[in-house]
Amino acid sequence: MTFINDTQHLFVRALKKLVRNPILLFFSLFQPIIFLVLFTQLFTKFSQVPGLFPPGITYLEYATPGILLQNGFSSALQSGTSVVDDINSGFLQKMLVTPVNRSAILLGRLSSDAFRVIVQSLIILVLAYILGFSAATGLAGILVMLIVIAFFGLAWSGISLALGLRTRSAETVFGIAGFLTFPLLFMSTALVPVTAMPSWMQSVSNVNPISYAVNAVRDLAIPHSFSLTAIASAFGYIGVIAVLTLGATLYLFRKVVS
Amino acid sequence: MANIIDVTDLVEVYADGTKAVDGVSFSVEEGQFFGFLGPNGAGKSTTIKVLTTLLKKTSGKATVAGFDVDSQAEEIRKVIGVQSQETVLDNDLTGRENLVLQGQLQRMGGSELKTRVDDLLSLVGLTDVAERRAGHYSGGMRKRLDLASALVHRPKLLFLDEPTTGLDPQSRAAIWEYLAKLNKEQSMTIFLTTQYMEEADRLCKQLYIIDHGKIVANGSPSELKSQVGADSIKLSLQDGVAGELNQKAKGILEGMSGVNSVVVSDDGLTVYARNAGLIIADIVRAFDSNRIQLAGVSFSSPTLDDVFLQHTGRRIRPEELNTKQSATSMRFGARRPTRQ
Repeated sequence: MTFINDTQHLFVRALKKLVRNPILLFFSLFQPIIFLVLFTQLFTKFSQVPGLFPPGITYLEYATPGILLQNGFSSALQSGTSVVDDINSGFLQKMLVTPVNRSAILLGRLSSDAFRVIVQSLIILVLAYILGFSAATGLAGILVMLIVIAFFGLAWSGISLALGLRTRSAETVFGIAGFLTFPLLFMSTALVPVTAMPSWMQSVSNVNPISYAVNAVRDLAIPHSFSLTAIASAFGYIGVIAVLTLGATLYLFRKVVS
Repeated sequence: MANIIDVTDLVEVYADGTKAVDGVSFSVEEGQFFGFLGPNGAGKSTTIKVLTTLLKKTSGKATVAGFDVDSQAEEIRKVIGVQSQETVLDNDLTGRENLVLQGQLQRMGGSELKTRVDDLLSLVGLTDVAERRAGHYSGGMRKRLDLASALVHRPKLLFLDEPTTGLDPQSRAAIWEYLAKLNKEQSMTIFLTTQYMEEADRLCKQLYIIDHGKIVANGSPSELKSQVGADSIKLSLQDGVAGELNQKAKGILEGMSGVNSVVVSDDGLTVYARNAGLIIADIVRAFDSNRIQLAGVSFSSPTLDDVFLQHTGRRIRPEELNTKQSATSMRFGARRPTRQ
């Protein structure tokens, strides 16, 4: 019980901090929104080239899942900077001299990250809807999408937190996150199908976790493509990443805490 | 009374080989106002980190409130309050929210927490700004809020690591007042570290002087100062220019018990004595019966810095010496000379 209460209090703290720093929210939403508006306009004709994109859908329909994942990915990578802040300001230490459950400190952080990604995804979905996007599987599909995105975000939060705990430098976390975002995003099926890539990029895309998560979300979004296998493999892949990154986070966190 | 802290042969060696604490032993009685005085890097903060379960000790034994710092850390965290050297607040939360969160992490809640937070805000004088974000507070306000956040769960034992470092004299005096009150009225045990002699002198009943990870002296501030030896008493006489009178006075003073030595100088006589406060009355009486007229008396006690100096050969903070010397002086009105 104390574990759940502790997590809840720290979850609320993290959300308050987020809401009171709207500039951070703005920056993490800015990029996906630009992508949504500009790319979908820019590539509409490109997507009509026969044989490259799945037939019968607009580029907006194709790219929205990718942009949702990009948003989850890049805002999760900010997560590590918060733990760096808490370490450097001494707030982590201040928490550690209280009986607060140690895992709750991490879980409070992670759950607020997941919540944030869901809210941001909803904002993007509403914008996409205004531009003409709709999810083929309806509200239930959107719910599953949000779950995939939230778990995907958690896995990446783990990477960012591990980096933050290891380097204790917010700049490094931002730097590495920025460095990772674009190559991983463009070498995935987020914005173009794998068939449109040169073969070396195809092999990167085929092991790129973003591709798996995007494919799962896309299968829920575009008509006649709902696939349990895609969702299952997305969860499997995200699960593996989450175990690795959150394991590293937990290990580093224990070292900081003891 | 039972000891709330017991430390035996505590050693803390950092990963880089630095021996921050080198075989320290001490105990603190419940209800005590206890202090560690020493310069930067003496091992004060490290000792506090071990006792507050933030740092694993290298060797030795340490218990807080009867609980072992290694195996019963969780129990210790419930009964201690800690204010670290740097003021630590969540700048995005309001003053009130900072206190509420701290209470929640200490497993408080409901109306009990609400009342407690209200009381603390008014204790530290922040009720009016309680709904403002801590990031907008001034340095003194932040320090007070930080102190309040260490008190939310009514700890039995409060650790304060240099609580007034970097504060202006007014804020410092305010903090001193709260601390003395907490110790006295709520019989809260307080463990304070400081590099300010005046602070240690004023607040601590029991004081350990620490340098290079070792305890160099301990006792109450007045015991420590009396170990230094002598206070100095400066006397100036009416018609003091006459060398004869000074010599006569010197003879009288040297005959008194408790006087170590007497020096005659241009501006009067300086008496070194073990306890100036006690001997001044004797001097006044002796002069009176010998018809020697006093124009002025002043005495200065040895400071804790003198104690540190004696034990380590160094001063704690040389640059602060001039302002920190505690001097007490009394001025007598010129008395009418009496016929001899």
